[in-house]
Amino acid sequence: MRRVNVYAPILVLGLLSTGFAVVSVVAGSLTGPKRYNRARLDAYECGIEPTPQPVGGGRFPVKYYLTAMLFIIFDIEIIFLYPWAVAFDSLGLFGLVEMVLFIVTVFVAYAYVWRRGGLDWD
Amino acid sequence: MRTILAGLPGLAAATATAPAMGTGEVWLFWILAPIAVLAALGMLVAKKAVHSALLLALVMFCLAVFYIAEQAPFLGIVQIVVYTGAVMMLFLFVLMLVGVDSSDSLVETLRGQRLAGLLAGAGFAALLMGGIGSAALGTRAGLGPQSASRNVVDIATLLFTRYTWAFEITSALLITAALGTMVLAHRERTAPRPTQRELSEQRFRSGGQLTPLPAPGVFARHNGVHVPGLLPDGTPSELSINKVLAARGDIRSGQELDTPGIAASTEEEK
Amino acid sequence: MSVHTLGRLPLAYQPAGTFGTDPWWLVVLKAVGIFVFLVVMTLLAIWWERRVVARMQHRIGPNRVGPQGLLQSLADGIKLALKEDIVPRAADKVVFVLAPVLAAVPAFMAYAVMPFGPQVSIFGHRTMLQLTDLPVAVLYVIAVTSIGVYGIVLAGWSSGSTYPLLGALRSSAQVISYEIAMGLSFVAVFLFAGSMSTSQIVNQQTNLWFAIPLLPSFLIYATAMVGETNRAPFDLPEAEGELVGGFHTEYSSLKFALFFLAEYINMVTVSTLATTLFLGGWRAPWPLSLVGVDPAHPEGLLNTGWWPVLWFIAKINIFIFVFIWLRGTLPRLRYDQFMRIGWKILIPVSLLWILAVAAIRALTLDITLDRRTLFVWVGGVLAVVFVVSLAWDTLAERRGAAGAQDVPAAGFDPMAGGYPVPPLPGQSLPAYADLAVSPVSARAGSAEPDGTRDPVEGDDA
Repeated sequence: MRRVNVYAPILVLGLLSTGFAVVSVVAGSLTGPKRYNRARLDAYECGIEPTPQPVGGGRFPVKYYLTAMLFIIFDIEIIFLYPWAVAFDSLGLFGLVEMVLFIVTVFVAYAYVWRRGGLDWD
Repeated sequence: MRTILAGLPGLAAATATAPAMGTGEVWLFWILAPIAVLAALGMLVAKKAVHSALLLALVMFCLAVFYIAEQAPFLGIVQIVVYTGAVMMLFLFVLMLVGVDSSDSLVETLRGQRLAGLLAGAGFAALLMGGIGSAALGTRAGLGPQSASRNVVDIATLLFTRYTWAFEITSALLITAALGTMVLAHRERTAPRPTQRELSEQRFRSGGQLTPLPAPGVFARHNGVHVPGLLPDGTPSELSINKVLAARGDIRSGQELDTPGIAASTEEEK
Repeated sequence: MSVHTLGRLPLAYQPAGTFGTDPWWLVVLKAVGIFVFLVVMTLLAIWWERRVVARMQHRIGPNRVGPQGLLQSLADGIKLALKEDIVPRAADKVVFVLAPVLAAVPAFMAYAVMPFGPQVSIFGHRTMLQLTDLPVAVLYVIAVTSIGVYGIVLAGWSSGSTYPLLGALRSSAQVISYEIAMGLSFVAVFLFAGSMSTSQIVNQQTNLWFAIPLLPSFLIYATAMVGETNRAPFDLPEAEGELVGGFHTEYSSLKFALFFLAEYINMVTVSTLATTLFLGGWRAPWPLSLVGVDPAHPEGLLNTGWWPVLWFIAKINIFIFVFIWLRGTLPRLRYDQFMRIGWKILIPVSLLWILAVAAIRALTLDITLDRRTLFVWVGGVLAVVFVVSLAWDTLAERRGAAGAQDVPAAGFDPMAGGYPVPPLPGQSLPAYADLAVSPVSARAGSAEPDGTRDPVEGDDA
């Protein structure tokens, strides 16, 4: 009997769901009616003429950049925390001290950002 | 980008000569490797910045699958979490900051950037050749007695014992990143932010419009935001229309729409 | 890629039971099973949500299609399929079509590592009731979820319209903010379980569900999972009053249905993750878990065979009910309040909690540590807690004192500040003070003995 490894089932589920999603998208464009209407193809803006996009597209508050960057910083911290937590019992007190140092250092950055108002939204 | 283009042949060399490469892995490689290379090329030639970012995400995803296939599940999943998930999301945010539709500017603003790029590229190529050479010619250590299920613990043990110093240095790197972001992206407030209470007090003290602004549109006839609302005495209220719409000249008067002819013409236009 | 062997490894690091040994037909059967389970759960959850919220708002809710309106969501799905599929003129066509696929596929895929139950027999084949398991299973779920965010961002961008772009940016900023709190809340679980494999984590909860010793982690996760799925009261990306429909404003037909499906599957997924990591996964709740326990069957009757699927689904549905309950109860938060909870409360609290858990565990593991040192540590921690709480109280008192100054004098000035104002709590309108009538007596007064009835009541009858 053919045996499969641990990743193949994920692939099977992925193919199944991708197939479903693609079929849905295609079916949606086939089953529905097609009645051309200029206004319907406009961007939706509560009934008024759509606001023309400025040259270069819409621009966004630089605030979101800060959020994304902080996300990366904490994401990396989490990535370090996971193997540490899994292997904690074999690392013991040394592992704890190490991680306290690491978290405190990252916390300094966090406290600085907080103090400067980087975490405030307005 | 050069990393990825150059990295793939290296991977091919490493995997093609590996003694225990299963058929599944061969299939995986020959399906995903062309996708990765094409996506990488597409990233270079794509006109829109967002398309480039998406193709780059695809390349990173393919690399993650290769890592997992090489029995490094932790590295592979982390590649998806950190690079595909976090870093590429930052890229997308940045693209949206500078305007999502702006295409690449072909004007070079940095002096000598081509020369610097060539030098860095050549240096990197040399480094990569060395790496591939030692992997192809030398003896391979391989995974040894470990297996994929001990992967996480092994990484942790190495990271928190032998590479403690490198690990702690990473936190300094993270601090640098946070400081850099604050310098680049944070606008310092010069005055404290007015609270809702202060704003409402100010509104009442100044004695202007106290109630919410009147709603636009003459309900049941023309309920668009481009039609001023009528006050009880029948006069259109200037307060009910958006200043931006007025500046764009999109405002229609209620009377104008009440005229049957014009109302009909706007209906046709819809 | 060879099938790796698990035999010689310490138990804690490997998935419980054996994975990767199922024949192909069984893998496909399980995958289809998960797919059907998720779609059915979505349809039922939508129906259930509408019924429960309706009941909370003194309405009836959908009750026409099928018994008790059970097939309403299916009918809605068919209706969506028959609607026109609109691709706006300003849209980036390829990405616009890609986005719903990118939102839906990861939602399904996250379920690959969720344990439905222990080993069972399917057509005579012993297998785990779980599609597969990885040594990094929980991290895999996080990775797949982070790909799902692409669906949202790209949908907003590719629509070429203002509201979707705003909604997408809000949505993704929200998801990534709460993903950190979510990721941090898992660390304590991994510390206790010594593994990231879902089946192993469930196994470690045989005696005690992690929600009890790790209550703060559980509460942080429970908060983060609501933010992560963009559900009320954290449903800012879909704040109708501000952003119309958020990132999917421009979507219609089955493309919209895919986003809807993904949202509900994500709800099921985070509920499942909460169940698996904190509430013992498929294990029977306490008194039931003792049924049929004897030396030959240490697991008990209700923790073996197909029974666990029942507990598993019941636990998920409790979480989904809480989601619905929240939606029926709480108003939406303001964006700055929402971000403040995520960044200034959940993250520092989880970091401190992780360190506390690790410290306690290190102290209990390290036998070289004598009792006196332990007492010094505990005393030190208690002292810090005491000082912090004292400082907190002082601050709160000061804040309270500042607030107290705003309480107006008892005298009521009906034209305070030159405008007619209503009385504040503690004040009463002088002119009507003696006319105050309780609603009950007012009602009794309307039914006079002479038979004159309230006209409104007369209309009702």
